[in-house]
Amino acid sequence: MEPRIPELGRFAEPALLILVSLSDGPKHGYAIMADVEAGTGRPLGPGTLYAALARLEERGLIEALAPVDRRRPYRLTAIGETMLAEQLRDLAEFADLGLRRLGRSPG
Amino acid sequence: MIALLLRLYPAVWRMRYADEFAAMLEQRPLGPFDVADVLLSALDAHLHLRGLGAASQSQKGFAMSLRIGGYAAIMAGIHWFIALAANAVNNGGDGAPWIFFVIVIATILTLIALTGLSAFQARRYPALTWAAFAVPAVSTIVALIGFAAIAVTGDSDRPLVAGVNAWGIMSIGMLGLLVGSGLFALVTWRVRTLSRAAAVALGFGAILMFPILSGIGGGWLPSPLEFLVVIVPVAFSGGWVWLGLSALRVSGPVTSSLEGASL
Repeated sequence: MEPRIPELGRFAEPALLILVSLSDGPKHGYAIMADVEAGTGRPLGPGTLYAALARLEERGLIEALAPVDRRRPYRLTAIGETMLAEQLRDLAEFADLGLRRLGRSPG
Repeated sequence: MIALLLRLYPAVWRMRYADEFAAMLEQRPLGPFDVADVLLSALDAHLHLRGLGAASQSQKGFAMSLRIGGYAAIMAGIHWFIALAANAVNNGGDGAPWIFFVIVIATILTLIALTGLSAFQARRYPALTWAAFAVPAVSTIVALIGFAAIAVTGDSDRPLVAGVNAWGIMSIGMLGLLVGSGLFALVTWRVRTLSRAAAVALGFGAILMFPILSGIGGGWLPSPLEFLVVIVPVAFSGGWVWLGLSALRVSGPVTSSLEGASL
C-alpha cells in the first residue's frame, strides 16, 4: 500500500489515530488522548501525542486554534481531511482483501 | 516533575508547545509509562528539529499549486463558456475575431489549471496524471502554433506542415486538449481528492465537445441531438469551474462546520 500520510515513521499510527479523533471536530491534547484510548483500548502517551501533533501541524494536516485556559484545540485542515479519507479507504480495501483471502466476507 | 520533563525539550519546542503540554500533563497523574514516553519524545524533538520546516514547505507547495490550479480552472471555465457561447451565437466565430483571443486565453488558463491540479493529484496515479498533463501540454503548444499561424496568415487554407493548414494545426491541438481534459477527468475521478461530480461533467463535456463542434461546423448534427449543443459546452466549462472551486475548498482551511465541536 502506498503511504498516504508521508514521512511520519514510527509516528504514522499515532498520527492516523489523531486524525480520526479530530475527524468529528476540534479537540485539545487531553481530549485526543482520552478519545484514542476509548476508541482503541490502548493508551496514547503524552510525548508520542505531541510528537505526532507537531508533525501533523508541520505538514499542514491539522491546525491549532486559539488556546482555551492553556489548552489548545486542534482541528483538521481540508488537506488533512482529504488525506485521512484516502488513508482510510486504502485501509478498508486492504482489510477487504485480507478477509477475502481468509474466505470471510467483508463487513 | 512536569517542569523538569519540559526542560528536556528543545527551547524552540517549548516556546510552541510547553504551556499546553504542561496543562495536559497536569490533568492526570504521571505514570512510569508516561515519563518514559516523554523522555523518548524529548529526544525525538531534539533530533526532529533538524528537519523542521522542510515538510511544511512541501505541504505549503501542494496547497499553493492547488490554489493556483483552482483559480486557473475557474477562469478557464469562464473563458471557455464565453468563447463557446459566442462561437455558437456568431455561427462559428466569423466576423468576431475577439472570440479567437478568448479561446487562446482559455487554452493557456486550462494548461495552468492542469499543471497546478496535476501536481497535487500525481501523488496517487503518477503515470496517468502526468499523461493527463503531457497530452494537453503538448496539444496546447500545437494549438498556440495554429492560433499564431492563423493570425499571421489570416485564416489561410494554404498547407503549412505536412499538408495541414493553420486551422488544421489548431484543431489538432484543440483535440489533444480535449483528450487531455478527458484524461484529467478520469484521474480526478479515480483520485477522489477533488469533486467526482465535477470530473464527470468535465469528462462528459471533453469527450463530446469535438464531435459536437464538428457536427455544428459540418451541419450534420441530427436534430434529436441538438440539445447537446447547449449541454456539452456547459458541462465542459462548468466542469472546469466546479473543479476549480473544489480545489480551492481543499486547499483552504476546513469549513466552519467543525467549529464549536466538542473540545
